[in-house]
Amino acid sequence: MTTTPVNGRGRVIAVLMMALGLLVAMAFGFGSAGNAHSVFTFAPVNISGDRPWHLGDLTVLTRWWNVVLGLLIIALGVETWVRRPKAALARFGGAAIFFLVALLFWASRSPGPSQVPFVNVTSVLTGSSAIAMVLIFGSLSGVLCERAGVVNIAIEGQFIGGAFFGSVIASTTNNFILAALGGAVFGALLGWLLAFLAIRYLADQVIIGVVLVTTMSSLTSYLNLQVLTPYPNLNIGNTVATLPIPLLDKIPLIGPVLFNETGFFYLAILLVAVVSFALFRTRWGLRVRAVGEHPKAAESVGINVARTRYRNVIMGGAVAGVGGVAFMATQGQFQPDYTSGLGYVALAALIFGRWTPSGAVVASVLFGLSAYLANGLQSYSVPISSEFIGMFPYLVTIAVVAGLIGRVRPPAADGIPYQRS
Amino acid sequence: MNRTSLRRIGESPSLLTFFALLLGFLIGAVVIIATTAPVLNAWRQLFSSPTAVLHALNVTFDNVGAAYRALFVGSIGNPSSFAHSLATGQSWTATLTPLSETLTYATPLVIASMGVALAFQTGIFNIGANGQAILGGIGGAWIGSMMHAPMIIHLPLTLLAGVAGGVLGGLIPGILKSFAGAHEVIVTLMLNYVIAFFLVYVVQSTPLQQPGQANDISRTLDHSALLLPLFGAGSGLRVSYGVFVAAGVVAFGWWFLNRSTLGFAFRVTGANPNAARAAGFNPKRIIILVFMISGGLAGLAGVVQLASTNYFIDGGFLIGSAGIGFTAITVSLLGRNKPAGIVWGSLLFAALGVGGRTMQARTGIPLDLALIIQSIVVLFVASPVLVKEIFRLRAKAQTVQLATKGWSQ
Amino acid sequence: MRVELRGITKRFGSFTANDAISLTVEPGQIHCLLGENGAGKSTLMNVVFGLLHADEGEILINGESVAFSNSGDAVRKGIGMVHQHFMLVPVFTVAENVVLGFEPTKSLGRLDAKAAADQIRTLSARFGLDVDPDAVVENLPVGLQQRVEIIKALSHDAELLILDEPTAVLTPQEIDALMDIMRSLAAAGKSILFITHKLKEVRAVADVITVIRQGRVVDTVSPSLSEGELATAMVGRSVSLTVEKEDVVVGAAVLELRNVTVRDDRGVAVVTNVSLDVREGQIMAIAGVQGNGQTELVEAIAGLRHVESGTITLGGRDITNASPRQILDAGLGHVPEDRQRDGLVLSLSVADNLVLNAAAKAPFAKGWNRRLAAVRDNATALVERFDVRTTGIDAEVGSLSGGNQQKVIVARELSRDITCFIAAQPTRGLDVGSIEYVHSQIVAERNSGRGVVIVSSELDEVLALGDQVAVMFAGTIVDVVSPDVGREAIGLLMAGGGQ
Repeated sequence: MTTTPVNGRGRVIAVLMMALGLLVAMAFGFGSAGNAHSVFTFAPVNISGDRPWHLGDLTVLTRWWNVVLGLLIIALGVETWVRRPKAALARFGGAAIFFLVALLFWASRSPGPSQVPFVNVTSVLTGSSAIAMVLIFGSLSGVLCERAGVVNIAIEGQFIGGAFFGSVIASTTNNFILAALGGAVFGALLGWLLAFLAIRYLADQVIIGVVLVTTMSSLTSYLNLQVLTPYPNLNIGNTVATLPIPLLDKIPLIGPVLFNETGFFYLAILLVAVVSFALFRTRWGLRVRAVGEHPKAAESVGINVARTRYRNVIMGGAVAGVGGVAFMATQGQFQPDYTSGLGYVALAALIFGRWTPSGAVVASVLFGLSAYLANGLQSYSVPISSEFIGMFPYLVTIAVVAGLIGRVRPPAADGIPYQRS
Repeated sequence: MNRTSLRRIGESPSLLTFFALLLGFLIGAVVIIATTAPVLNAWRQLFSSPTAVLHALNVTFDNVGAAYRALFVGSIGNPSSFAHSLATGQSWTATLTPLSETLTYATPLVIASMGVALAFQTGIFNIGANGQAILGGIGGAWIGSMMHAPMIIHLPLTLLAGVAGGVLGGLIPGILKSFAGAHEVIVTLMLNYVIAFFLVYVVQSTPLQQPGQANDISRTLDHSALLLPLFGAGSGLRVSYGVFVAAGVVAFGWWFLNRSTLGFAFRVTGANPNAARAAGFNPKRIIILVFMISGGLAGLAGVVQLASTNYFIDGGFLIGSAGIGFTAITVSLLGRNKPAGIVWGSLLFAALGVGGRTMQARTGIPLDLALIIQSIVVLFVASPVLVKEIFRLRAKAQTVQLATKGWSQ
Repeated sequence: MRVELRGITKRFGSFTANDAISLTVEPGQIHCLLGENGAGKSTLMNVVFGLLHADEGEILINGESVAFSNSGDAVRKGIGMVHQHFMLVPVFTVAENVVLGFEPTKSLGRLDAKAAADQIRTLSARFGLDVDPDAVVENLPVGLQQRVEIIKALSHDAELLILDEPTAVLTPQEIDALMDIMRSLAAAGKSILFITHKLKEVRAVADVITVIRQGRVVDTVSPSLSEGELATAMVGRSVSLTVEKEDVVVGAAVLELRNVTVRDDRGVAVVTNVSLDVREGQIMAIAGVQGNGQTELVEAIAGLRHVESGTITLGGRDITNASPRQILDAGLGHVPEDRQRDGLVLSLSVADNLVLNAAAKAPFAKGWNRRLAAVRDNATALVERFDVRTTGIDAEVGSLSGGNQQKVIVARELSRDITCFIAAQPTRGLDVGSIEYVHSQIVAERNSGRGVVIVSSELDEVLALGDQVAVMFAGTIVDVVSPDVGREAIGLLMAGGGQ
């Protein structure tokens, strides 16, 4: 971005965090009636059969818990002010999670306006993790492409294409491994197309990406009407079963959220580990990063820039394609505009996560939680609109690229076509 | 034709656009062929009889022809009904409805595309035109339905409110780019979603919501705030006074880019920001100004859509495939950011959209085919070297103009 | 390793950058390739290094013909190159940069960081190139970055090292250190191809000198030749660039700098405490090796760079940290150093470029409207007066030759109403005819009573044009002298002597 120091801007976000903490303490804390309490339950919704554990409901006094959370947010703000801009992103992420928790306390309080006088923590977390999983696939795709210097703004297109073909394959074979493979192949094809136009024909990567998204959304919408509607058994909307991991799935709270998931979830976690390792510990990763930072230098030591970029963009496309299948496999039947912009949230998670796999995971979890709550809060008759929670990932990303929260630096050659001299 | 003249044509942008269109329609035809049962069946019986090939070709041309004919008839009109109306002087409404619909659809598109094109000419990619158009719609709906005044005051104020909404929407990325170096593509892309949520909030949780409604629907504009049908409400033709607004915007755009001092500053900044700075132009100011103008035009497009066609807004206003702000990006790419190109591009894409409905009604081929063709055309327009290679045109020296310069700027 | 080039020819379109170039580098030899900017040196080196393919000719290593399809091939054959613009990834460590492309690995393709660091330590010790393998390259000073480049080449067992204008970015101390490194490498049996246009350096280290001019080898000479003889061979004409200058009465100061301090993009103070007066009817030539703060100083005067402290006055008006617009209006004519980057919009017409910084003013505009007729009239007149060779005033400036592009800028700046004219590297890359023309225009400007500042790293230009010579070194003006003190004295000042 720019070389200007962001000290002043780091302070802006510190002040915002302090103000947010104050708001939480005053409005959510002292704004709640003194006797109001919030109830959290932990009953898992997606586990059948015996559970060796039962967590009782957690009842807390809304006012004082929210005052404490507000003070914690203020403390993080103060820390950001003092130690800026180091790790401002992480502190901001912490403050955001405290805020969402406080909001949940407040929304579910009783006596209060809430129609649902309790929050099921387990279902909030499982619901969020389903969205986060898809975001992880998408942002990993972005990591693979952009670390090699190609902007993949077409994640949304790869999602929707993957979801479409995944649905057709899953409906006809009822085999989600085949569906995932099909989604990967289709995503890889789209990745190849992006790479082909961007690398060989030096087309503008952002424009090509945007147009690829509209192409895919109109193509799948067309095929939905022209093919899926007349042949409904191509789109029966079957979802994938979960694969509980023995013993681990019995752990209270964590079990149902992390160890009673679909294969796609485990695949996402595995991919994060693999990509993270490969990118930062191996020869392959060093070369990829060199291509994304300084392609000329890479070429001068005999690394084939175009081939590296092709490979990575195709791999990235495949990962995003699987992400589309993962979405379809947890949400069911394909519909037009199915992924409704999740691909762009994944792009946001990539940026918020500073182009690293682990950062992308943190961002995906945060954004997944806020996306889930944006929908979920409606059931609590909250006087503040859930739309503002829905805006959160996008607003945070804007703040990040504006340097309000720490400093992000994309790969230096990201988005710039490379021409051999 | 000798080789040199061929070469000269190969370097002409309009021929490239023509070839891109040709490819778009060809691929559209392939999509039809691959997804239409009768065509596929005919080809499946290829070896059943000696004449099967002819039969299959026949069926193919019939189906593709019918689809594209419906596109034409639905967007421009049926030549025979023109002849009939000319001869008898009757049923003009039916004859002219397709053209009227195309113009209705093209009106806001021209305005929004002009805004996107001005930004492109300044080296700025405003993906946020759609969000800015939505803000324009919100501003227009607010003034148009909550305020009451005679048309001579009310309509201009409504349009101005739309412009103001768009300007506000443009100021955010403008200021963030200017002072914080935030990449406008990311900011505007994200703002589109923020604004989409804001739209739902406004039509559901503010006084703009239609009283007595629980759904996300706004009040309806006063009659005095409408861009009325050009030929009167009884004419049955929807084309509105908005076309004059669009014509004004095109004239403004032409003057601005070619004759105004500020437009010159914009173009210099777009082509070489360093030289612009050395020549005394203030790039920060120019970035903010271009976003204000681009956003303002997008906002105007939104309010024109509202005042001429929708009359109220809901949570889906300009969302998804109705997003003229996204179509505007493709139109300005197609029209190479020039006013005349934008007029033609808007008419073409409007025709595709309008004709697509007729095509869907008559042949059952989904309207989305029109969107597919649009996207593919722009894909080719954005990759000129590829088109040249396909048609074996001599490629000019490889100077590729990029609109965006990567995240790191 | 003995490397022989035979008849290397490289064309770009109709332009022949290298025309049948032949030369031989013997083992342990420092072979200097001397030529002006644009003579074809870098093209030739890119061919040798496999980055470009020669249209004709062949390369022989130890008598055996080789063909490179990319630079990796060249590296494998023992050729290493230190590029003018470093081929280092700024966010990587020294070790990562050095091993890139030739990484030692463990199982699973894991990088062997320890092996990489050891390799660097070994090379450092062997050739006296001290550098920390774990330092991140972007945090290192330029001289050390260059050292990393050399280590990188050596780590690939380079036997022939190509150094492309290695001293352009270095401080004098760093240059001395580099010369020592080159000598010790040669002593260790490495061959070195040293590309430069600086005569002093050539004479200091070269064993053999091949002079090229306009893509051709003009001579192979020994370093015992005098600088004058070398220069003559390099530029192919008598370098006495004496310009006819009549005596002019020197008037009041038009441009006054007082204790000006300026920082570069990285925040390093590259101009410190500079004070200077430029008077009416005077050409103040600022001499100095490139990179001693001249670029930043000119940018600060033109309002393109923040002035940290001190004041700049133009015609009595304080223009310190004024906007470029205000400074242009105050009467500064500015020919920027990098004309394509800062001076022109290549995709716009000659006519538009001729009014680039006056387009919103009368007579070229009225209110919000441009007056295109006035723009065209102006262009027609200036193209005629300044002899700009173009197919027409509507032609894109990018289609003009470098010299004619420069004439467009000079014409534009001189046609405005200015009190002071400042030109950075006004004749860089121009042909002889254009140089003479630009020089005559600069002198005419001085004769008409304006203050003129010329920044040039070409000593001959400084001597020919300057009424006074201000020598810059390490961000300060070491001295302001008359050009009559002679090139040796000024050269000594440029090298930091006399401080």
